[in-house]
Amino acid sequence: MSDFWNPYAPLPAASRRAHGLVAVIGSLLVWGALALSGMISANKLPAPWQVMHAMSYLAWDNGHSILLNATLWSAGRVAVASVLVMALGIPAGILMGASPRINAFFSPLVDPFRSAPIVALLPILVMWFGIDELMKIVFLFCGSVVYLVPMVRDAVLAVPQSYWISARDLGATPFECVTKVIVPMAMPRIADAIIVGVSVMWTYITVAEYVNAREGLGQMIQASKRFSAMDQVFAGIIVIIALALVTYQTMSWIKRRLYSWETQV
Amino acid sequence: MNAAAAPTPAAVSLALQNITQDFPSPGGGAPNRVIHDISLSFNQAGINMLLGPSGCGKSTLLHMMGGVRPFGVTTPTSGTILIDGKRCDGPNEDVVMVFQQYANRPDMTVWENVYFPFTLRLWRNKVSRAEAKQRVESMLQAVGLSDKRDLFPYQISGGQNQRVALARALVLRPRILLMDEPFGALDAQTREEMQRLLAELFRTNPCLVMFVTHDVTEALVLGDRVIVFATQPAIVSDDFTIAQPRPRDSAWLRSPEATALQERVLSRLHQASAGKGSLRVSY
Repeated sequence: MSDFWNPYAPLPAASRRAHGLVAVIGSLLVWGALALSGMISANKLPAPWQVMHAMSYLAWDNGHSILLNATLWSAGRVAVASVLVMALGIPAGILMGASPRINAFFSPLVDPFRSAPIVALLPILVMWFGIDELMKIVFLFCGSVVYLVPMVRDAVLAVPQSYWISARDLGATPFECVTKVIVPMAMPRIADAIIVGVSVMWTYITVAEYVNAREGLGQMIQASKRFSAMDQVFAGIIVIIALALVTYQTMSWIKRRLYSWETQV
Repeated sequence: MNAAAAPTPAAVSLALQNITQDFPSPGGGAPNRVIHDISLSFNQAGINMLLGPSGCGKSTLLHMMGGVRPFGVTTPTSGTILIDGKRCDGPNEDVVMVFQQYANRPDMTVWENVYFPFTLRLWRNKVSRAEAKQRVESMLQAVGLSDKRDLFPYQISGGQNQRVALARALVLRPRILLMDEPFGALDAQTREEMQRLLAELFRTNPCLVMFVTHDVTEALVLGDRVIVFATQPAIVSDDFTIAQPRPRDSAWLRSPEATALQERVLSRLHQASAGKGSLRVSY
């Protein structure tokens, strides 16, 4: 216990997992006890086992899986929007970071939206892009790009100037400094920006699928709510959290593998 | 390669003419003069030590020669730097600089760091891939890092990192090598090792070396010519040559000749800069 208040003392992996497990099991117990006590009705707070049951029903019923179908649709939308966000957001962020003029020009158009209520844009997007796939992809794109672009820009700005000076001295043109020095050295933080950008989309997916969705996890939750199937609503939320977590962990793992030098600097 | 035959150094000339540098003072008001009317010329390969207390403006002078300038300030304020008779006003391919912070790329191996300049268009057009690889190979050998080629900068020591920086500069065969307190961040023993290495590399690749230091011993151990600066603003307070061949061991450092030179430098520095900046005598 002597290291209880020491943020630099590493906790052994087994101990870390044990702490996490205790918290999760504890929450499930409290949840189960609350549900059993009858203080809260089942259509407000379904019991954990009811949610499990709903999950298994959604996962496999009568020869087809509602859950798999919905997950594939949602993941597909996130994937398409992610590709678009990266294709446009990363170059934009790099350009803004690499040139103070470009940054000065675009910064007022980008930075304020970081704190803008993206959800409030939904009616406008519906007006502009209709109620089909295009609108959903654009919405996810907007929700994510406002984080990605400033983060990529800041990643570029965080590269110490000494590398730029040294490369210039060795004969690099300013453009070569950007492509051969700044961008490679900013990559770990650009990867962080991608991870945040994609993770944010999972938080917006239900909103994106709120309007006129025929498929998807958000639609599944909407439909369940309409039929007051709270157990299914809970199951859907848990699936989204799990997917977001898996996406995040996988991307972090890939990033650590690709840029192992970063933690050592 | 025939080690006995000392290569003939390429002809080179470097001239500073009436260099003056003012920096704007932080609170506004009259600008702060850091260098005052310095004129020096160098006409052959040799190790020239620019010795002065820290903060005396010698690094600023070196950066001018490298065409590396701080942003927002014109350098020099007045005066001219001529390299081979041509005015120097930007990075020059004949001039390469070694910084105190090694500026080694953390995302590249030792080999990639030394090869890096050859990935730039300027050098791609001059040096074939095969030759570049061969140059990197022999340079890694010369600085004793052949067995570290695949390691990253964080996996090697500070001295080894400075060897990488030195190799990356020399692999371009510069006619002028600028060194800005390159061994200042190293411990005493590693610093001595690096001084020996530099003397050896200079013997096999002679060029015009401008070496900034605030270490009197380092100046005496390495210099063919020592230029002593007084501070605030920097002016030349002494300028002499040392004929003793390198390597100069500790016995020579204790000789009457070396002791006399050291006395001379120290008294110069003390009278010129009483209480300003700091100096080091390291042995």
